[in-house]
Amino acid sequence: MERLKKERQTLETAASKLLSAALKAGAEAAEVCATYGVQTKMALEKQDFHLASTDDGYNLGLRVVTGGKQGFSSTNSAEAADLKEVASKAVEILQFSPENPYVAIAPSENVSKETPGVLWDDALFDLSLQTQKDWTKVMADEGTRDPRFRLNDGAVSISAGLYLILNSHGTHKLEKETSLSWSVMGMGVDGDKITSFDYFSQLMRSAQGAPDKISTTTRKFRDFILSTLKSGPAKSYKGLVAFSPRAVLDILVSGLNGHLNGRSVAEGTSRWKIGDLGTSKFNPLFTLRDLPWFTDRFGSAFFDREGTPTADRTIIHQGRLESFFLDHYAAKALKSTSTGHALGGPTTPPSVGAHCLCVSPGDEPLVSITRKITHSQKEFLLVHRFSGQVDPITGDFSGVAKGGEWWFSGERAYFVSETLISGNIFDVLGDQLYALSKETEVVDSHGESPTLIADGVSVTAPGPKTV
Amino acid sequence: MKALADRLEKVIHSSPYWAEARYHRRKSQLLQVQKGLVKQVKSSTNGGVGIRVLVEGAWGFSSTSDVSIKSLEKALKNAIDCAKSISALKKATVKALPSVKLAVGEFVLDGYEALEKMSLEQKLSVVLRAEAETRRRSSSVHSASCAYNEMFEDKIVVTTDGAKALSKLARNEFKISAVASDSGEMAEGRHSVGKTGAWECLFNQESMESMSEDAVKLAVDLLKAPRIPGGLSTLILSPAMVGILSHEAIGHTVEADFVLSGSVAAGKLGKKVASPLVTLFDSGVVEASKDAGGALLVDDEGVQTQATMIIKDGILNSYLHNRESAALYGVEPTGNARAWLYQDEPLIRMRNTFIAPGTQSIDEIISQTKDGYLVDCPLGGQADATGEFMFGAQKVTRIENGKLTKLYRGATISGQAFEVLSTVDAVSREFKMDLGSGYCGKGQPAKVDAGGPFLRCKAVIGGIQS
Repeated sequence: MERLKKERQTLETAASKLLSAALKAGAEAAEVCATYGVQTKMALEKQDFHLASTDDGYNLGLRVVTGGKQGFSSTNSAEAADLKEVASKAVEILQFSPENPYVAIAPSENVSKETPGVLWDDALFDLSLQTQKDWTKVMADEGTRDPRFRLNDGAVSISAGLYLILNSHGTHKLEKETSLSWSVMGMGVDGDKITSFDYFSQLMRSAQGAPDKISTTTRKFRDFILSTLKSGPAKSYKGLVAFSPRAVLDILVSGLNGHLNGRSVAEGTSRWKIGDLGTSKFNPLFTLRDLPWFTDRFGSAFFDREGTPTADRTIIHQGRLESFFLDHYAAKALKSTSTGHALGGPTTPPSVGAHCLCVSPGDEPLVSITRKITHSQKEFLLVHRFSGQVDPITGDFSGVAKGGEWWFSGERAYFVSETLISGNIFDVLGDQLYALSKETEVVDSHGESPTLIADGVSVTAPGPKTV
Repeated sequence: MKALADRLEKVIHSSPYWAEARYHRRKSQLLQVQKGLVKQVKSSTNGGVGIRVLVEGAWGFSSTSDVSIKSLEKALKNAIDCAKSISALKKATVKALPSVKLAVGEFVLDGYEALEKMSLEQKLSVVLRAEAETRRRSSSVHSASCAYNEMFEDKIVVTTDGAKALSKLARNEFKISAVASDSGEMAEGRHSVGKTGAWECLFNQESMESMSEDAVKLAVDLLKAPRIPGGLSTLILSPAMVGILSHEAIGHTVEADFVLSGSVAAGKLGKKVASPLVTLFDSGVVEASKDAGGALLVDDEGVQTQATMIIKDGILNSYLHNRESAALYGVEPTGNARAWLYQDEPLIRMRNTFIAPGTQSIDEIISQTKDGYLVDCPLGGQADATGEFMFGAQKVTRIENGKLTKLYRGATISGQAFEVLSTVDAVSREFKMDLGSGYCGKGQPAKVDAGGPFLRCKAVIGGIQS
């Protein structure tokens, strides 16, 4: 029996009606992005079961184009009258929009209907409320085993959905997916000592082995938080700083995104031009890839928001710029072809970005790198998580090192608070890059990175200066 | 709306348990222009009903976009099934909600109809003009952008214990950005405003031209500005920065759900947490600024909002509550339960958070500061349960011997909230709500505003070390 058969029919019928209504209302070309989703969530709060909830619904977004003008409107109703209203609103918007020569609906691509992976699991879709409750209890039990750990929020969610792209050039792409996701936010409290909040989230596409994974990840997180209760003073200095895989992705890689966006390249707001492809812009140790075909990641995608097939792609290879993120708009502006990087859902027009960015590892284990650092600098900060700002234009970053680890003579000594870091992402990924660890970590079931060590980063702490 | 309210009431009264139904329809529109091209013009509608029940001490919730009786009844049954599925495992069951006076009637904030009547063409023409003028204002401006966003919110909240509130409000935001470049250096200047009300509210404190000029001047000035040296410093925070401090550093730690999790504010009611110069509120309506970006008359549990005095003359006076936490603490709910969409359950959220004005003028405070920085133009921030906060500032100006001197590039300010508030030694009489274009994130977004006077304190600036 095909799961979600009725919902699929409703979705495809509504999307077709919306497309027809747009063309009837005067659009030259149109594209519909439509989704159906059903979710059951069990939430924990303050160490206890808090709420169980269900939600299901449709969303439909219509983009219309006529002579370089574009309009967009969306609704969460699949009713005929609402669809008609969305079509006329999108066409009304289009009439007021000045022309933009790069606006267009993507052409249809005749590619194989076979996708490189499967995102659906019948067993997950059929999971009972009772089993989901049992899995949530596994999280609750691990999260409350040590009274010093405060499980502020936690949730176990089961979702199933349909994602459809339909356009007037013949594109008709449908993806079905199920997911089991869970997350925990918590902190450690021991007498007067309170640690920073921290969080994690995980995703699986099948039910197999789920309780064990929920238990293991919650335990690992709890133990890490409790280890941060051991705190000590930081010092101000400028020098070597280590960035955890999470910090690499949150500070350094996220800061690159805007500059790698093909629309920014076309509009001159990126620091690079199309002619920079093939030239060296980073340290040769740095390689960055976008890998959308992992099925167990939040960024998994076999086709993009315009229906263009995705592919694993090297963005930066050993410091050399290899590719930008291009949707159809950026490709047209740069006289190139889309790389399958149109992102988004039905409530917004396509935007541009990466699916799942992964930094390639170095050759040396972290332990030998930290020993080596000791020769030139006895103490250093390892930034676990970052709470701060990265200037999207200049790449300057400044913020608090949350759960920051203070390393002394090649060993982690204690955790620090109220310690700020400051630097520039292009410098860190350029001349200041000192080493990348051999070990990598997948962060929150999304990107992946090794630990990165860079020189010349400023650390400011309330304590005395010198390292 | 009234017929729908009756329908919701009929459905929830068929429940053998306490139940709440919340209809919420949001119609929104975004206009965005960059470098002379329209980047986005989009409209969207999201509407439906969320039903919440309290069964044997446990919460259940279900939502539907279909407002027919059949669908609402199904949602009610789903919510009850959900609650029953966890009730046996719940350790601390929720006792019956306290009997409080709940909102009944229509609650409409000014400006909804006027903003709705204004055409898309009129709004877009202003956005196009603002971007074009910003781009042409200086030869150093490399690119400019302007965005306008509006949301019309229609809500109905009914509960089995008597709430029946119909509310309407409109929120809008206007943002201008200029990017300047020179000899390989680039810098951005931004100016934004967010209000609850008609179009005119956006420009009643500052004209569009003035906002554009500010953004360009800041971008151009920052091009030559050096990076700031880091360390513990004396800071004069602008109203917008005081808003961030009030919201991030204090507001979150006094949300009762965080307090119950062990935030730094736990056990501090009645204790000194700040300088006696500090009195801090979170309010549904701000008397001095009724069109503040987080204005709200009724919360999503049907409780009428109030002005909650969180800190009174330096003493912690109140937490922020929903009905459940108010029952636990034995106090009245403060009207802080808010949900972003009909699909979301209400959480304890802030509305308009601010420090009350003082008596000195800002000129006086600057002239009395020997060595420090004037910090303005916030870039967002975060806080921890420990009270440790971080916020970014785009504009930091050195104060030397009572005079403003050199401009520095943006920096991050950090500290422990209550410690920083204890160092406050000057509060200005000038007051402004200045974060109306901001959103707060706590699992769900929320539209909030914050502000206050200029305020002098000590905190750490994250900058460059030599």
